[in-house]
Amino acid sequence: MPIVEKSLVDVDRKEKLELEGIDVSGDWNTFLRSRVQVDLDVRIHDWVKGQPQGETISRCWQCGTCTAGCCMHTDYGLTEFNPRYFIYLAQLGYEEELRKYATTIWRCVSCNKCVERCPKGVKVEEVIHTIGSYLELTGGAPESPADRFDRAYTANLLERGILDEAALFRAYERLEGRSMPAREMLRMGLTLLKSGRLHTGPLAHRTRGWRKLGRVLRETLAEDERRRRASASSVARSQGGRR
Amino acid sequence: MSASAPRGPADTVPAYYPGCSLDGLGKAYEVSAQQVLGRLGLALDRIVDYNCCGATEVKNLSQDVSVALPARNLALARSMDRHQVVAACNGCVYSLARANDAMREPATRGRINATLERGGTPTYDGEASVQHVLEFIYARAGPERVRSAVRRPLAGLTVAPYYGCLYTRPKSLTGVQKTLGTDDPEHPQFLDELLEACGAKVVTDFSAKTICCGGGHALSDLDVSVAFSASILNEARRAGADLVATICPLGQINIENQLDRIRASYGAEVVRPVAYFTQLMSVAFGARVREARLQDNFSRPDLFLRSRGFP
Repeated sequence: MPIVEKSLVDVDRKEKLELEGIDVSGDWNTFLRSRVQVDLDVRIHDWVKGQPQGETISRCWQCGTCTAGCCMHTDYGLTEFNPRYFIYLAQLGYEEELRKYATTIWRCVSCNKCVERCPKGVKVEEVIHTIGSYLELTGGAPESPADRFDRAYTANLLERGILDEAALFRAYERLEGRSMPAREMLRMGLTLLKSGRLHTGPLAHRTRGWRKLGRVLRETLAEDERRRRASASSVARSQGGRR
Repeated sequence: MSASAPRGPADTVPAYYPGCSLDGLGKAYEVSAQQVLGRLGLALDRIVDYNCCGATEVKNLSQDVSVALPARNLALARSMDRHQVVAACNGCVYSLARANDAMREPATRGRINATLERGGTPTYDGEASVQHVLEFIYARAGPERVRSAVRRPLAGLTVAPYYGCLYTRPKSLTGVQKTLGTDDPEHPQFLDELLEACGAKVVTDFSAKTICCGGGHALSDLDVSVAFSASILNEARRAGADLVATICPLGQINIENQLDRIRASYGAEVVRPVAYFTQLMSVAFGARVREARLQDNFSRPDLFLRSRGFP
């Protein structure tokens, strides 16, 4: 039986206790909820390893160096953002537990400190994004803002070869159902326009001869998406069947 | 990929990859970088008709597209007969180096080149190395030549050197050979040394040197990007810095874009002016504040420098 640390501990059980006038309140009576995990399935791990971005997953030996330095975990203080644990769960094939972090995983800011420090050469950042992709592609996981942004960014860039930042900003804000106040937008736009820093709409830069490569890359993107979705779904289906 | 020694005459002038930022929001970076390179007698040859590198976003959707995008730019550099590509944006350096690494594998190289060919683009032979413009200036000119080019020392200014994430990181992609012009990913020094050579007092143990600014998620995770930007400014404040020097357009733009929110959540005393390192170097080399386009920056380092007597 694997030990899946967090969920085994009944964290709410705090004892209020005073012994001979000394406050000894704490986790005295914390007990382990018994849990038996069966049907471990290595196919999630195998799927991640099968993606070029995830192929280093099997090198991980769970030292936690990635998580100790992780800016989301340590600096931002989002303790549930735990790359080591995400990899652990994916290695075990513990999909049910992994799904709890389906949106959290996408909050990785890609600073690559984990990749820099990993003594085993695991490309942690790419591996956990791949785990996130698995969860996202197999459904059940709500789309996360960062994932939506990646898609909006890629679509924008593939249109002209050069990013139209203002159009991306507007498109993404629309996706999230937000909008910048018109006055603020105008003020910012004018400042940037006057100093020659805003190239949007008809003024947008484009790469000469992009049309053809743009089309090829959009096809590649769609094909990758289709292939990934199909293979991830077949893993998820077989997982579901065994549960 | 590690920087390599020049292999031919064409390599004395590397190819320059501007990326989307330097041609748009980061115009001040490009203009001031050209001023600095000119004063140091260094030249870069611009890649025309480049395309966006895909930054860290595209790779989450498709490995092949994320490799093909930078590979096309590297191919263009090779068709200019260059073995070295210099970029000024941390994100660009990262994705170019990442594609370079992926293209070392023959199967990937064949597949990506076939894609590029179908798109009517030159193919990439995998023979270019990638360098950040900071490393390029450090390796080619170095603190000594910078010092002798200074006309108006940045005396009396305390500067916090902010390198940001992805500068020479991860080393598995960028290589670490200081002698060949690659900085240390955990404790970089090049910016410290160049700013010192310009006469500034540099916060050498600046603790936020290589933290992330959250810029990649500036729109999708606002809270994180405000918190990280604020901590960079706050660490600079604690270290007694007057201003923060940046080497990445995304970092610069992200921090400046969050200033109102930082003021509201963390207090106005946290905020200080933020400028591209090339803007500060250009001023030290004698450019007027306006010429170095410091008025472009939303944090208005121009006003600050004028108040310290810089014309």
